[in-house]
Amino acid sequence: MQGGSREPSKRRNPRGIEGVISLTSLCEGERGVVAYAVGGFGLVRRLADMGLTPGVEVKLLRKGSFHGPVQIEVRGVGLALGYGVASKVFVRPLKAKPDG
Amino acid sequence: MVKPRLRIALAGNANVGKSVIFNQLTGLNQVVGNWPGKTVERAEGTLFFKGYTIRIIDLPGIYSLSAFSMEEIVSRDYVAVEKPDIIINVVDASALERNLYFTLQLLELEAPIIIDLNQVDFAAKKGVRIDVEKLSEALGVPVVPTVAITGSGMNELLSTVVAVASGERELKPLKARYGKEIEKRVQAIEKLVSAKLLQLCTVYPARWIAIKLLERDTDVAGKLKNYENGKEVLDYAEKLAIELEKIHGEPSPVVIASERYGLANKIAKEVTAIEAPPRISLEQKLDAITTHKILGYPILTGVVVSMFALIFIGGNFLSAGLEFLFENLSLYVESVLSSFLPRIVVDLINNGILAGIVGGITIALPYIVPFYIILALLEDSGYLPRAAFLMDNLMHKIGLHGKAFIPLMLGYGCSVPACIGCRIMETERERFLAGFVVVLIPCAARTVVILGLVGRFIGLHAALALYAFDLVLVFVLGRIAFKVLPGEPVGLIMEMPPYRKPLAKNIFVKTWSRTKGFIYIAFPIIIAGSVAIEALALSGFMSYIVEAANPLIGGWLGLPPETGIPLIFGILRKELTLILLSELIPLESLTAIQMIVFSLVTMIYIPCIATIAACAREFGWRKALAIAVIDVALALFLGGLAYRLLSLVMAT
Repeated sequence: MQGGSREPSKRRNPRGIEGVISLTSLCEGERGVVAYAVGGFGLVRRLADMGLTPGVEVKLLRKGSFHGPVQIEVRGVGLALGYGVASKVFVRPLKAKPDG
Repeated sequence: MVKPRLRIALAGNANVGKSVIFNQLTGLNQVVGNWPGKTVERAEGTLFFKGYTIRIIDLPGIYSLSAFSMEEIVSRDYVAVEKPDIIINVVDASALERNLYFTLQLLELEAPIIIDLNQVDFAAKKGVRIDVEKLSEALGVPVVPTVAITGSGMNELLSTVVAVASGERELKPLKARYGKEIEKRVQAIEKLVSAKLLQLCTVYPARWIAIKLLERDTDVAGKLKNYENGKEVLDYAEKLAIELEKIHGEPSPVVIASERYGLANKIAKEVTAIEAPPRISLEQKLDAITTHKILGYPILTGVVVSMFALIFIGGNFLSAGLEFLFENLSLYVESVLSSFLPRIVVDLINNGILAGIVGGITIALPYIVPFYIILALLEDSGYLPRAAFLMDNLMHKIGLHGKAFIPLMLGYGCSVPACIGCRIMETERERFLAGFVVVLIPCAARTVVILGLVGRFIGLHAALALYAFDLVLVFVLGRIAFKVLPGEPVGLIMEMPPYRKPLAKNIFVKTWSRTKGFIYIAFPIIIAGSVAIEALALSGFMSYIVEAANPLIGGWLGLPPETGIPLIFGILRKELTLILLSELIPLESLTAIQMIVFSLVTMIYIPCIATIAACAREFGWRKALAIAVIDVALALFLGGLAYRLLSLVMAT
């Protein structure tokens, strides 16, 4: 269904840290704290430049259909990440708290 | 006395309003819009203020000064090498933290900056109030709050520029220090750099070189290769970078970016007061609906279809009205001119020049102006990034990502800016891929032909079918190109700017400046083409060309032999095909099949000269010619095929 170049969706937690899931596994509206990102040097650096550095809180706003892109909010800015990119960012989900 | 001159540059993140400020300051019409990445070429202008001649340059919007993209390298080299007198760092007040991340990097470059805190109105609406004084203190540079879109604060901005330039106001820029682990290594490298790379240090600050080396910046590392001691410094920096990575377990640029963001966050927090808790606004609701995983698509389809329907209805209405106005002009001019000019001159003027002007006004403008208005609305509202988000998945199938959908949409306006707009794609390969499909999108000129011929005489449904067919074609060809071209596809990382209410004034200004551009560029060509055709007809050469091209035009495509001429001239401008055709034969005399085949061929064959030139500049002549040849072959092949298939279908 997907192009051959895509990451498999469930490549979970390559660094084996407990409680860490891929950004694409967050539910819509759920928050998480970035643990790390995997992938090429250029990609990881670009993500950091856009504010996705370890320790930062992100909120997953919505997911596109059929493994589509995700829209997140990070550092007060809306960001769209392709599915392949988002699945390389790993987060620690935060306990649900009432959305203010 | 020599008038003092200043060179200033506008720098900042994408979509913070740099181009708006540029236009406000210079009175020029640099294209603006609510999507990141518009300014792909730096624009320059001059203004006069308090006796100063100020040369101002609008740099492309970037998020960082790393070596991620060409734009970033170009921008930082401009700042470091050209050393403008002052850099106005435009900062989006509603996204202070991310913007300060960039500001901190400008400070690392030891650039003389002042901050333009823009969109303070929008931030206030979000309940964010920024203490300008405090921010100025924290950064050690002046901060001027502005609302560029209304022009508020522009005078203060220029006054501040002049005050700093004249030395009246001193800059005491923040010297940011990193945490111990990083700082120790930066300073160690800096020491070595200033000792060993004297020449490079006259251009770039030693500390900045050190930071970049620790970040493993490939561009700076490349510069070092030319130096005798370069290798030694590089090896040392590499060693320290590895140490740093061992401590933190992250690539060194991520470690450094984290700290920089940490500082940006700290400053932003100190100077920001959240007055009202953010409520769910109308904009957010609109955002949620238009990017919804199911609802988003019918909305996108609706937007695109109603766009063409509106252009069609508006265009037909205007076209009919204008034709009525000009109906008797030609007869009148002919009768006046005939009294004192020889027949052949009268024909050249009347059927050449006048017919060209009238054709341009009655056939092209009625469809192009409504189009520009709608395009401006789409651009300014912020819908384009939403469309890009929705289309990301599909674009991946042709080896691109969602962002490519933006130049694709622009392509419906004009292929030239669309081609240049492909620069928002990150890699060379993607730029070319995007460029290849973008020129296949029917631009406004081709829309003139499709709507003005097929739409008008057959019906909107047939015209829309042509557009739909074109999309399928784009997809199929894009898919083939994707498979043929070597390289890895890149994923989508794109800012989603908030929705904004488009301002009527800006829509008008943008539509006007584009229409003006169209008239200046297209009308001379339309008139020249029109005169050339009349000359061909009068001299009798026309019949030779028609004869020679007939096997292809009449035999293969099933078109009246005369259509060969407009199709040749259409290389100059696509709308010329229809205008010239209307001068040669009555459009109504074409059969439905001929109209479709003619429009189909016009839609696909060779992008016009201006587009080929733009492609050549972006991708090189070889690739530009390859695109042109492929498109011509494809147009003729599909045209002939359509003629045969449609004849078969119609017969049964």
